[in-house]
Amino acid sequence: MGERISLTVNGRLHTLELEGWEKLLDILREHLNLTGSKRGCDDATCGACTVVLNGEAVKACVTTAKKCAGGEVLTIEGLADGEKLHPIQQALIEAGAVQCGYCTPGIVMELYALFQKSPGAEDEEIRKALSKHLCRCTGYEAILEGALSAREAMRKQAKA
Amino acid sequence: MAFKYIGKSLIRPDAVSKAAGKAVYLDDIRLPGMLYAAILRPEYAHAKILSIDSAEAERSEGVVRVVTGKGCTFRYGDNIRDLVPMAVNKVRYIGEPVASVVADSAYHARQAVKKIKVDYEPLQVYTDALEAMKPDAVLIHEENGSYWTLPGIKAVPDTNIAMHYHLKKGDVEAGFAEADTVVEGEFDYPLASCAAIEPHGAIAWFHEDKTIEVWSSSICPFIIREDLARSYERPVSDVRVHIPEIGGCFGYKSDITVEQTVAYVASFVPGHPVKWVASRREDFTSTLLGHGIRTRMKIGAKKDGTLTALKTSVYHTTGAYADTGCNVIMAAAHNSTGPYEFPHCDLEAYSVYTNTPAVGAFRGYGHQESQLATERLMDMLARKLGMSSFALREKNYLRPGSVNALGERMYKSNGDVTACAEKVRKAVFGTDKPKADDRYVYGRGFAALMKSPKGAPFSSKGCYLKFNIDGSVSINMGGAEVGQGLRTVVRQVAAEALKIAPERIRVYTEIDTQFSPYEWQTIGSMFTIQGGRAIIRAADKAIRMLKRTASQVLRCDMDLLEYDGEHVFLRSDPEVKVAVKDICRGYIYPDGITVGEIVQTAADARLPRYSAPDPETGQGSMGVTYTFGAQACELRIDRESGEVIIDHFASTFDVGRVINPMQIRGVVVGGVVMGIGAALKEKLRFDADGICENPRYSRYSLPRLEDMPGKQTVEFVETPGEIGPFGARGIGEHPLLGVAPAILNAIYDAVGIDFFAIPVTPAKIKAALGKEGK
Repeated sequence: MGERISLTVNGRLHTLELEGWEKLLDILREHLNLTGSKRGCDDATCGACTVVLNGEAVKACVTTAKKCAGGEVLTIEGLADGEKLHPIQQALIEAGAVQCGYCTPGIVMELYALFQKSPGAEDEEIRKALSKHLCRCTGYEAILEGALSAREAMRKQAKA
Repeated sequence: MAFKYIGKSLIRPDAVSKAAGKAVYLDDIRLPGMLYAAILRPEYAHAKILSIDSAEAERSEGVVRVVTGKGCTFRYGDNIRDLVPMAVNKVRYIGEPVASVVADSAYHARQAVKKIKVDYEPLQVYTDALEAMKPDAVLIHEENGSYWTLPGIKAVPDTNIAMHYHLKKGDVEAGFAEADTVVEGEFDYPLASCAAIEPHGAIAWFHEDKTIEVWSSSICPFIIREDLARSYERPVSDVRVHIPEIGGCFGYKSDITVEQTVAYVASFVPGHPVKWVASRREDFTSTLLGHGIRTRMKIGAKKDGTLTALKTSVYHTTGAYADTGCNVIMAAAHNSTGPYEFPHCDLEAYSVYTNTPAVGAFRGYGHQESQLATERLMDMLARKLGMSSFALREKNYLRPGSVNALGERMYKSNGDVTACAEKVRKAVFGTDKPKADDRYVYGRGFAALMKSPKGAPFSSKGCYLKFNIDGSVSINMGGAEVGQGLRTVVRQVAAEALKIAPERIRVYTEIDTQFSPYEWQTIGSMFTIQGGRAIIRAADKAIRMLKRTASQVLRCDMDLLEYDGEHVFLRSDPEVKVAVKDICRGYIYPDGITVGEIVQTAADARLPRYSAPDPETGQGSMGVTYTFGAQACELRIDRESGEVIIDHFASTFDVGRVINPMQIRGVVVGGVVMGIGAALKEKLRFDADGICENPRYSRYSLPRLEDMPGKQTVEFVETPGEIGPFGARGIGEHPLLGVAPAILNAIYDAVGIDFFAIPVTPAKIKAALGKEGK
């Protein structure tokens, strides 16, 4: 019944004993105490639990533990460099895209995965990525604005 | 008046921890020895409980205890004490707690709760107020009429009517007799969910020393504290409530609801903290819903457009318990006039028990529901009179000297609805409307609005202000930050009042009733007004204390001294001065002898002279402060699909004073999108058996990025108010109020069809277009 898996989260290797029912979100929140990834719906609709698994943005609430075995996971906790926030986090803050903040980690990770794959992502790609996320506070305007300016900030950083 | 910190787009103090994923919300809290609860919900929305068999659940892995409502003797609530923490003998709605399992993990609790067997005897189910209020209806509460209530709440015993409220101004019959024309209609604002992305939840811990400690994703820690103290017969001071970061509220995490259930469960396992967090399904069906309001309205007017009379009847599908809904419909009745003066009003509201989840606060609190009727009927009246709808409204706006339905006189300081209307008219109607083409037909619509706080006579907010030894300042308040940005407002108001840079003012994070000053509850868009006034009062006291100490140090009278944030100095000779940091914990002379007080102050503020309703007329000072606004949109409708696309949405509010331009735009833009959800998408559906058909995000259609208007224009009028800090008024709920009527008025403009119920889905538009042969 039980299973044992290994996975790397934010650069650290973990080996876990699981009961078999756990999803990636349970592993992160309950086993590893990484509570930055949020639980909003359990049916892959809100995006608050989005993390990056092997370079892809995934919804941790429906990603089985088995799928993560041997994988590399990056969560919101692994993004900032000490006190220095990632440009995506900084851009969302400056755009006023953070209100209650509950959807923010998922959106940050979605954008991170997008910009890693496609640093100069078109506006339409950005909109499509953000469409996977629910935010009840902002009306999305500031999130979109923050995402666009994050793209610029990352471009500049890449050039420098 | 020139401001140094007011009117600047400061970044919110909590943004970094939230963006870093380090902000701690309820479900992120881990306590030593914590247990987890799962809750069993009934199979029927209205039924007698015949028996509960929990033997198998008790043997399940990790289970500590199974709890049922058997033997629970108390009722709770802060308006009508009709609530039970867990069903006793009977269930009244599909999300009601029937039993609970406490286990060592949430998973084990959930597994075990499925093993509880319950025998029910089903009863007649009511899902609509109009059915439930019929004279022969089966009673949902046999005890109706005997519950404790706040003054002014009148039930109709032996019916399902939990409250009947009646507000009269003038003589409505005479008013309609004077009218040359009448318009009327019945409008439906259906049940919906605030659906914050963070589900509601609570942790309760009955300590061995008889104190009770609770954590909740709530905006009402002090209500929770008082209510639990009453239920468990403890001094209020022995109940401690913590509020961590809140992942959105929009109303439904108010009052006291899930906390009583979790506390009841935890009371069976004293010594252990017990956590329960709603699943998304439970968040839809076992926490408070919004709306469920039908408004029948009739407006009388003279030929020239002068309004003569208003009759409103509000029927509220209040749900299984009325504690949290009764004030919503009082607000719906009061504010059904919209921003207009009616000489004669007869406004009544019925809060009716039904077998649906209880309705409580939803951003807007009764205003948008009844003003949907007002603003649609104003457009219909203009058509009937052959007048411009702008001219009709303009003729009847509440203005200085007008008297509203509650009998309150309006002053200039209440704000300027005409100026708001003019701004949005220019923004949306100032250009030619696009011409219809093969695919799309275009429309424009307008709505004016009025928002009152719907507070209470005792609705105070407190502020503790403390100067630290380096002259920096700590501010501690009881206002719940739900994302609206009140911490930024606190920081900016305090900075302005104390003349100290915002970076040197640290605003509280967690609320903890053990340390936080009293706050009634963070509702009704009142925090900026009342909380801001409390900050200014606390700052004034602190400055007086600084001057008192400085007068000793500088050896002169206090009234000759000035304060500039860094020093207290002699007005006539500014060189005679002492630094604030040297006097804020008393002044220490070179020989060590110290004089003067530590500068730490407390203050509070409430809405002045807010009253209870007059028992005869229902009138009273129950608005005190008003905010006016106007909203308009341009949209297009896809003839094929019936889809509505909002190209431009414009909003203007007279907020008295803009404190943070970036933040206030964020509040308005987000509120408008929430309103678009209500107008076009959202409805929580219950079938005839009271079973919820769509309690999931994937089936309850919240607005997404693609539902954003093509463009939003957000403007403000700043007519200073007399109560709020630097003239500011509230804005939290307002952006929703005019959205649905503006959109429905625009739909009429586009296709000539009047809709009376929301959401207006593409299917409804297609069906209506087909019927009209358009």
